[in-house]
Amino acid sequence: MKFSARIAAPAAALVLAGLTATACAPQTSDNSAKKDEKSGTLRVWLFQEVGNAPKQKVVDRAVDAFRAQHKDAEVEIEYIPVETRAQKIKAAFNDPESAPDLIEYGNTDTAGYVKDGGLADVTEEFGAWAEAKDTDPAAKQSVSVGGKVYGAPFFVGVRALYYRTDVFEELGLKPPKSQAELVTAAKKIRKAKPELYGLAVGGAYTYGAMPFIWANGGELAEESGGTYTSAIDSPAARKGIKAYTSLFGPDNCPAAKCAEMGGNDTVTAFASGRAGMAIGGDFSHAAVEAGKVKGKYAVVPLPGVKAGEIAPAFAGGNNLGVLKSSSHRTLAVDLMKQLAGKKAQGELFDAMGFLPTYTDVRESAAKKEPFVEPFIETLAAGAKAAPASPGWAQIDSSLVLPTMFQEIVSGRKDVAAASGDAAKKMNDAFGAAG
Amino acid sequence: MSAIARRGSGWTPWLYLAPALVVLGGLLVYPVYQLGLISFLEYTQAQVSGGEPTSFKGLGNYTTLFGDPQFWQVLLATVVFAAACVLATLALGCALAVLLTRVRAVPRLALMMAALGAWATPAITGSTVWVFLFDPDFGPVNKVLGLGDHSWTYGRYSAFALVLLEVVWCSFPFVMVTVYAGIRAIPAEVLEAASLDGASQWRIWRSVMAPMLRPILVVVTIQSVIWDFKIFTQIYVMTNGGGIAGQNLVLNVYAYQKAFASSQYSLGSAIGVVMLLILLAVTLVYLRLLRRQGEEL
Amino acid sequence: MSFVRRPWRLAAEASALLIALAVAFPLYWMVLSAFKPAGEIQSTEARPWTLSPSLDSFRRVFEQQEFGRYFLNSLLVASVVVIASALIAFLAATAVTRFRFKFRTTLLIMFLVAQMVPIEALTIPLFFLMRDFGQLNTLGSLILPHIAFSLPFAVWMLRGFVKAVPEALEEAAYIDGASRSRFLWQILFPLVFPGLVATSVFSFISTWNDFLFAKSFIISDTSQSTLPMALLVFFKPEENDWGGIMAASTVMTVPVLVFFVLVQRRLVSGLGGAVKD
Repeated sequence: MKFSARIAAPAAALVLAGLTATACAPQTSDNSAKKDEKSGTLRVWLFQEVGNAPKQKVVDRAVDAFRAQHKDAEVEIEYIPVETRAQKIKAAFNDPESAPDLIEYGNTDTAGYVKDGGLADVTEEFGAWAEAKDTDPAAKQSVSVGGKVYGAPFFVGVRALYYRTDVFEELGLKPPKSQAELVTAAKKIRKAKPELYGLAVGGAYTYGAMPFIWANGGELAEESGGTYTSAIDSPAARKGIKAYTSLFGPDNCPAAKCAEMGGNDTVTAFASGRAGMAIGGDFSHAAVEAGKVKGKYAVVPLPGVKAGEIAPAFAGGNNLGVLKSSSHRTLAVDLMKQLAGKKAQGELFDAMGFLPTYTDVRESAAKKEPFVEPFIETLAAGAKAAPASPGWAQIDSSLVLPTMFQEIVSGRKDVAAASGDAAKKMNDAFGAAG
Repeated sequence: MSAIARRGSGWTPWLYLAPALVVLGGLLVYPVYQLGLISFLEYTQAQVSGGEPTSFKGLGNYTTLFGDPQFWQVLLATVVFAAACVLATLALGCALAVLLTRVRAVPRLALMMAALGAWATPAITGSTVWVFLFDPDFGPVNKVLGLGDHSWTYGRYSAFALVLLEVVWCSFPFVMVTVYAGIRAIPAEVLEAASLDGASQWRIWRSVMAPMLRPILVVVTIQSVIWDFKIFTQIYVMTNGGGIAGQNLVLNVYAYQKAFASSQYSLGSAIGVVMLLILLAVTLVYLRLLRRQGEEL
Repeated sequence: MSFVRRPWRLAAEASALLIALAVAFPLYWMVLSAFKPAGEIQSTEARPWTLSPSLDSFRRVFEQQEFGRYFLNSLLVASVVVIASALIAFLAATAVTRFRFKFRTTLLIMFLVAQMVPIEALTIPLFFLMRDFGQLNTLGSLILPHIAFSLPFAVWMLRGFVKAVPEALEEAAYIDGASRSRFLWQILFPLVFPGLVATSVFSFISTWNDFLFAKSFIISDTSQSTLPMALLVFFKPEENDWGGIMAASTVMTVPVLVFFVLVQRRLVSGLGGAVKD
C-alpha cells in the first residue's frame, strides 16, 4: 500500500481548505433594524441578582405602568445569569432573531457593545426626556460614547470599606483614616486573630484594586485625541499596585488563597466572618446582612493616601440599552424610560439597595437609609470610570489586570515587569480597537 | 480481497456511506473550513455582529500568535501535560487489566464496577468532585494528609498534578477494559506455558502479552493521545479557566479564552488550526506504526 | 486462573479491592456530600459519613425552573444522537470493511483525522451554520453537531465488529437468495449489535455532558435548555454551595451510571471485539 500518498491527500485537502480563503467569506450579521412596530412582544433581558425576587417586583410594577399606556404591547422579561451574560449578549448581537429589544448591561461594557454594533443610539430621546436632566454626570458619562448616548443609567454601584465593629473594638482600633492606617489595622487584626484575613483582598478583584492606583495619583490609561494609552506602568500607578499587592501575604491575606479570589469571594469571606475588613459595594449590603456578621459591622469610605482623604472609587453600575436590531424601537425606548425612571429607581433602591443615578432621588434615599451615606460620600468625593474605549472590554475580559496582580503576588514577576507587560497588552487592545 | 467484495456493485458502498458523508461534510468539514478561513481574517466581535467589515490579514494572526511568548509556553505545557496523562493512564490501565486476570470474580467485579463508575462520571462533575476532595477548607484529602489549608491550585505543578489525577481517574477505565478484553482473547495455554517456564510477571507481560496486544495498545494509545491533547473541561473547571495568571492553560482552553473571553475569534481559530496540525502529525506516526505491523486498515 | 500461586492471588485480590475502593471514593464522597445537611458540609471536620441525611440540597436543585423539562430535553437529545449515530456509523462501517473501492483508505484516514478536530474551536462556525438553518434555540442545534462529532469514533470502532462477522456467512446468505438489504439488517445488524452498544456509550457520554453547545446555541428559548445548563447555576465555586453542587452532580451522573450498568456486559465484550480483529 502506498500509505504516504493516501495520507498526503486528506492532509493536503485540509490545508487547501484553509488556504483557499476566497471562495466564501465567513458570516457576519446585519444588525440594523428593519422596522419599528408599535405593537407586539417586547423581549427584555435583565440580570439575575442574588435574591432576585424584590427586583422582580419592582420591574413588574414598572411593566404594569408601561402596559397601561401601551395596550397593544406585551412584555416578556427574562432574568439572565450574570456569569454567562457576556456570551449570551454577544450571541444576541450575532443572531437578531433571538435578540431581545432591551437589555441591562454593565457600564464598563458600553464602549465595547457600541463598537460591536449592538446598541442603538438614543441621544435624541434621552435629550428630550425630562427626568434625564437630573442624571448625575458620571452616570451619563457611562452611557455615552463619542458624545452620543446609548441607553439610560439604571443604577450606580460604588465600593467602600466594610469593617467588623466587634473586632475593631476588641483590638482598640479606629476606622482607618489613611492608606497607611488601613494596612497597619489589617496586619494588626491578622496578628491578633490568625483565623481572620485582616483586609480581604483578591488577585482577581480589579475594582477593589483600582482605588489604590488612583489614590496614589496613578491612572489606568490616558486619553489624548480619542486614543488611549496605558498608564498602568507609570511610577504613580506602580506605587498603588505595590500598596495593593503588599496586602497579599501571611501577615494579612495569604497569597496561596487570596491570589485566586475575586470581588465576590472577598465579600463572601467578610460576610461569613472570615475577614476583619473588606472592600464591598453598596450592592453587597444585602449579602453581608444575610451573613454571620449582621449587626457587627459598619462601613466607611475607603481612605486615600493622606489622612482624611477618600480614595477615588470605581464608578460601577448598570445601564439599560435598546438593541440596534430591535423591531420595536419606540416601544423599547418607552419601556427603558419606565424602568430607568425616577420612580422605578427609587423603588429599586428600597428593594435592593441599588443607588439611584439621579442626584435628587439619591439624596432622598440617603435620608431614608443611613447605610448608604459612606457610599454617597465616596461618590461625592469623585468616583472614576474605566477608560471609555472599546478596547477596555477586551482588556477586562482577557484578564490583563488580574493576571498582573496574580503575577506579582505569586512572586513570579516584580511590580515593574508585571505592570510593563500589562501596559503592553493594554496598548495592543487599545490599538486594535482604534 | 473477498469474492463478495468484488461482486459488490460500484455504488453500494457509497450509498451506505452517504448519510455519514453528508453529516460530516456539513457539520464537520465545512465548519473546519470556516475555522481555517477565519484564522486568516481580522475577525472580532465587531466583525461578527456586523459593526465593521471583515478584512483579510493573511498570516497576520499566525505571526501574532507565534510572536507571543505565552503561546509557546502554553504549547509546551500542553504537550508535556498530555504526554504525562497518556503515560499515566496507559500504565495504570494496563497494570489493572493484568491484575483483573489474576483475581476471582468478586474483586474483579468490584474493580470493574468502580472503574465503570469513574468512566461514566461526566467530566464537569468529575472535575468538581475532585476539586472538592482537595478543597483547602472542606476537603477530606488535606485532613487525612494533615496539610492544613494548603491550596492545591495555587502552585503551577500541584494544580497540574491535581488535574492529572482526575484525568487519569476518568480515562484509565477505557484502557483497562479494552486491554482486559484483549488479554482474555490470548489463549490460556500460551500464558500457562510461560508461567511454567518460571518467567516473572513482568517478563510474561514484556515477552508474551505485550507483543500479542500490540494492535490494541496502539489503538488505546492513539485514542488517549487524541483525548488528552484536547483536554478542556478538566482544566477549565478545576483551575477556574486556566489557573492563577494563566499558569495552567492548555491549548484548547487558551483558544477558547482568546475566542470567547476576548472575542478574538481569528486568534482562537489560528490556535485551533495549530492543534489540528499537531494532531495530524501524530496520526502520521500512528499510521506508520500500523504499517510496520503489516496491519491493513 | 489455576497457575497463579495462592498467596500471590490473595495479595492481588486485596489490592484489587483496595483500588476499587479508591476509585469509587470520589463518587461516594459526591453522593455523601449531596445528602449531608448544610452545616456538616461547611464544617471543617469532613467526616466520611452522615448521621442525619437531608434532601435539602436536592430540593434546591429540583426547584430550578422547569427542571423536569430540562431533564427530558437532555434525554431526548442524547437518545436521538445515540440512535442516529449508531445507525449511520453502522452503514458507514459496513461500507469501509466489506467493500473495496477507490478512496477507501483515504476515507478511513479522514474518519481518524475527524476525531482530532477540537470541538470547542468549532463553536463559532457552527453557531452561524445553525443560525442560517434557523436551528438556533432548538434541540436540533444540539442534536446535529453531536451526531457529527460522535460519528468518526463510532465508525472507527465499529469496523472491528463488522470485520469479525465471517464472510462465509455473507456468501451463504446470498446463496440462500437473501437480498443485500436483508443481509444488512437481518443478519449483519444483530451480529454487530454488541459493538453498537459499546460505541453508543461514547456518544451518549459526550452528548449528555455537553454544556458548551447548549450555552452557545440556546440563547433565548429557555424551554429548550438542557440539564447541564440548569446545573451550571450551581457550579459557582465562590459561593461554596458545595451541597447544591454535589447534589447537581449526582443528578447528572446517575443516568449515565444507569446506562453503563445496563450495557456493562456488552461493553466489555464489545471493546474486546472492536480491537481483536
